[in-house]
Amino acid sequence: MKKIFQHPARDAKPTLWRTQGELENSAEFNESLAREFTDAASGREPGEGLSRRDFVRLMGAATALTGVGLTGCRRPEAHLVPFAKGAEWTVPGKFLFYASAMPTPAGAVPLIVTTSDGRPTKIEGNPLHPLSNGSTDAFAQASVLDLYDPNRSKEIKHDSLTVSRGDLDNLLAKIRATAGSNAGDGLAIIVGRENSPTVERLRAALVQQFPKILWVQDEAISSRGAEEAFDVLFGAGARPACDVAKADVILSIGSDFLNPAESGFGFANGFAKRRDPKGSMNRLYVAENHFSLTGGMADHRLRVRASEYGDFAAAVASAVAAKTGDAGLKALASAFKGTGVTFDPAWIKGVADDLLSAKGKSLVLVGAQQPAAVRALIIGINASLGNLGTTISVRQTGAKPAAKLSDLCAAIKAGSVKTLLILGGNPAHTAPAGLDFANLLARVPETLHLSLFTDETSKVTHWQVPAAHYLESWGDARSLDGTVCSVQPMILPLWNGISAIEILASLAGEKIDGPSAVRATFATYSKDASDAAWQTFLKNGFAAATAWPLSAPAFNQGAALAAVQSAKGSASGEFEVVFLRSSSVDDGRYANNSWLQETPDFVTKLVWDNAALVSPADAKALGIKDGDWLRITAGDRYIDAAALIAPGHADRSLSIALGYGRNGVSHVMEKVGFDAYPLRDSSALGYRGGVAVKALPKDAYVFARTQEHENMEGRNIAREGTLGQFREEPNFASEMDGELPKPVSIYPNPPLTGDLQWGLSVDLNSCIGCNACLVACRAENNVPVVGKDQVRRGRDMAWIRIDRWFASADHREESLEMIPMAVMCQQCESAPCEAVCPANATVHSEEGLNLMAYNRCIGTRYCANNCPWKVRRFNWFDYNERPLDQLYYGPLAPKGMADSLKMAKNPNVTVRMRGVMEKCTFCIQRIEEARIGRAVKAGASDVTKTPLPAFKSACQQACPSESIVFGNINDPQSAVSKAKANARTYSSLAYLNTRPRVTYMARVRNPNPAMPGADLVGAANRRNEHA
Amino acid sequence: MSNFFPRWANWLPLQLLVCVLVVGAPITLGVWYYFTPKYTRVGYQPDQPVPFSHALHVKQLGMDCRYCHSFVEVAGHSNLPATQTCINCHGEGKILSNSPRLAPVRESWKTGQPIPWVQIHRLPDYAYFNHAVHVNRGVSCYSCHGAVNEMSVVYEAESLSMKWCLDCHRSPENFLRPPSEIFNMDWHPSSATEQRELGTKFKEEWKVNPPVNCGGCHR
Repeated sequence: MKKIFQHPARDAKPTLWRTQGELENSAEFNESLAREFTDAASGREPGEGLSRRDFVRLMGAATALTGVGLTGCRRPEAHLVPFAKGAEWTVPGKFLFYASAMPTPAGAVPLIVTTSDGRPTKIEGNPLHPLSNGSTDAFAQASVLDLYDPNRSKEIKHDSLTVSRGDLDNLLAKIRATAGSNAGDGLAIIVGRENSPTVERLRAALVQQFPKILWVQDEAISSRGAEEAFDVLFGAGARPACDVAKADVILSIGSDFLNPAESGFGFANGFAKRRDPKGSMNRLYVAENHFSLTGGMADHRLRVRASEYGDFAAAVASAVAAKTGDAGLKALASAFKGTGVTFDPAWIKGVADDLLSAKGKSLVLVGAQQPAAVRALIIGINASLGNLGTTISVRQTGAKPAAKLSDLCAAIKAGSVKTLLILGGNPAHTAPAGLDFANLLARVPETLHLSLFTDETSKVTHWQVPAAHYLESWGDARSLDGTVCSVQPMILPLWNGISAIEILASLAGEKIDGPSAVRATFATYSKDASDAAWQTFLKNGFAAATAWPLSAPAFNQGAALAAVQSAKGSASGEFEVVFLRSSSVDDGRYANNSWLQETPDFVTKLVWDNAALVSPADAKALGIKDGDWLRITAGDRYIDAAALIAPGHADRSLSIALGYGRNGVSHVMEKVGFDAYPLRDSSALGYRGGVAVKALPKDAYVFARTQEHENMEGRNIAREGTLGQFREEPNFASEMDGELPKPVSIYPNPPLTGDLQWGLSVDLNSCIGCNACLVACRAENNVPVVGKDQVRRGRDMAWIRIDRWFASADHREESLEMIPMAVMCQQCESAPCEAVCPANATVHSEEGLNLMAYNRCIGTRYCANNCPWKVRRFNWFDYNERPLDQLYYGPLAPKGMADSLKMAKNPNVTVRMRGVMEKCTFCIQRIEEARIGRAVKAGASDVTKTPLPAFKSACQQACPSESIVFGNINDPQSAVSKAKANARTYSSLAYLNTRPRVTYMARVRNPNPAMPGADLVGAANRRNEHA
Repeated sequence: MSNFFPRWANWLPLQLLVCVLVVGAPITLGVWYYFTPKYTRVGYQPDQPVPFSHALHVKQLGMDCRYCHSFVEVAGHSNLPATQTCINCHGEGKILSNSPRLAPVRESWKTGQPIPWVQIHRLPDYAYFNHAVHVNRGVSCYSCHGAVNEMSVVYEAESLSMKWCLDCHRSPENFLRPPSEIFNMDWHPSSATEQRELGTKFKEEWKVNPPVNCGGCHR
């Protein structure tokens, strides 16, 4: 008997959608629904004459006729090579864990690095560290691939000739000798911002020895402007520390504070703790020009152009001042000269009133790229709200100012720089275009670039020195709160890499021996410098009580007023271009990392590209569609970039991510995106007004977006409601299923007899959509990268797909919301995929796992066809064995993986070959390790009475907001059982009765009834129900 | 019209049948037998770089397996000993310190280069076997590796095929031993009945429930 499913009808105009086509109900979208897969994912190449199947049929016959030779009849001889001398702690096949940290400009990410047989293979957060809850971000997860990248710079070169380490040492000795004779005159050093106490100590030593040295600190996307403002407002070296967990009401004006790359580690967790609707839930207002992670979490969101953030802040300041009668704030607000634009008074009043109702427990934040005037206004508002000392404290970092890149350029022009050592960054590519840095470099008689890759800067310096990755060098770095974290080498430098600390130490005349430089610094900040204290530092990964002490900030009204008065008004109405930090390649530093290139953008879901984001209204005005070319002209420079329509984007505003469009560095970066750096100017690093935009009559550019795949026909998969709704009816989400059919299933019901039963819960209320789980899964499970062309054909392999739903109950841009939703294999108890597998390659375990036996799979793809969630991934090619540009080569073409990439693989997970289906396994290798660990511990006793060793799935471990919970649902005390018992829990596609082991907790928004459009917040599902 | 088929064609079906039986059957049976690990794997006895004799070290000298394979109880892999382990007894001025047969060991110790032992027991890459869980839960080395204590040159004693694994995973009572006899290669139950009784007792007491689903070994 054929079961007929009563699928919910699809709205002609849905209130929740993922793609523009879905919203508009376009012909292409409807055609894509009618098919199970996109063209290529069903094996049909677009627009080919002889179909692929026909070709395979012919080739099959030909192969059969030419005979299948019995090749390789001899047994291949394999060798087992034990150590000659046993290595300390090493047990072959067992993981070893070391504490370390990844230095980033925003502060160190504290880590626990997993090494297997001496190779670092996986990275997790360090749960001991006060700021970390054991989580990481996507960049830290992917950094292990950078270590093994075969494109890394490998040799020391001088004027393109390979030289030895001795030559480099001679050079450094010569520089030191010269500097000693002329007090460092003509010596300049550029460092990145790595927050390393050792680099700071060596800097002090160098400045002491060579007082005339020019010490430059440069980051492409820098918070320098903000820091200079803080120096003025709070005193030199004082930096604000915001505690989002303490704030009841948060207003973010263009601040993507939930994104760890932007604002440092530790915000997402504090924020998520306040999103539980059963506790005291906070409220988030966001005013921003493009949808950011933070904007997606907003309860109320307003589209504001980046150049008008100041006006918005002034409007809020006036409204607050009017209510409180704070003359100081009033003076600040009226002194501000912006574009003169006005905002919806009801919005401003609603925000101001709400902030005032939470005096001392509110928080107003602004993006790091805003000018000092706007920052001073924001501090003024916070001061007036009584937030200074409660939600905002300051930390005295003791940071000493360094010269800027523009100072260096002036010195080079004056001819006073004779030797330039670039020990961080890629300034020839990232420097503001007005500086003409690449050409200025040629004027310096001796230049040296230390870098992981032979990049744009290395090509124009005399010396190129391969840098050591942070996983292969000694170092230290302060995390956001100032706690000093240790950076330990996990492996000897693979390609003779040298760390910046080694170079600086030899310049300062220090003998380097392993950790000696770091150890010497340790003695300066640690009360106890003994061997035992040092060992504890390395073991824990950080030195306790080294955080900068918190103190209540004093508000300097005079300085703030002076800063606000510095603002120059600008004209409103012209286009602006906003430079974004890419969620995939940061400022371009990860452009060579294919895991990250294939990680979709948070919002646009674009891979292997960036795009000029335009609002739907602007797109209409310009007459463009997705992929059409724009010429963006700022001053005397222009770039051509393809446009992408971004719902929720501010009008008369463009956003473009930096770090793309690089050529001639490595094949990974070729033909990837558009370089936006030429549009930047020293005075406009974050955004630039007065931009001219015109559409170019060129063929549309083809983007690859993961969100276009596998549509779900608007079946209330992502669910949200409001706090009021939750309090009335806590289980509103599962109620949306209405009357479910009787729990019968056409699919098999395997016996679930195991004492352990695995399940997973995703809390949509705390999930910010940061991609950490996705990259963690890729690293843990050896998931291959397929390249832009294959993604475009719908063949991406990521086991976790983060759906980004747009929701709007009335289809207006003003009420647009975003819901990220991680979708992995749902591990259905009655799995549709298992019933259709002809080879029994996907079967059920008694512990409720939907297993995938790769070696049995014959690649019919029936299972993927029958999966309602479309989470099964098929290996169309030998993605592991072939370079991405040679996938279509014949069977005799060379195959093989770079040796260094083999080292990055998790030895406990099979590397899949061509023709095999794969999908999320709930990290079965970790489950099995835990089960084995329990059995080993039990030994000759009852195993069921032995506790299971604690473990997490890779996605759960990486999640910064703890929204993914995995575990044994048979144990009522487990975290996952408790999560599943939550009233907000629902199953997606529950009416299919497949009983997924993955459940979701609905998102709850906390709208302010006094705000305009409050009735539309969190209402998309309700509208959907009634339609 | 003459007959289309000549007369001899009447015998063609029978001839074909005989042909299939005579040629086809041996091929089928041949593949059945010769292409299985039982034939291709069992008895594999490659030359090793050092003629190490288990018979001498274990049987005659009474060394425990774990002196060399020291991590077998804690790790998935049962490690081969580092050269250092050999040198403990065969180092300078010790046993046979000048024997030419031990030259590769001394060479390895001097240069730090490992000894390239030839692998005998080899599972496919997609099968994950864990030694620790087996030896801790009553499975002896003997069950998979045979009487290594009597081999002067080690060979593969069992097929290590999936069916062979499952035979034990489905009925572990036929192989479980007292924990004290795991590494005793000379311990044998007096009869199959005794083994079954003992095994069943352990299986129930320890709740031995080896996985028989794919996920137990394939990840």
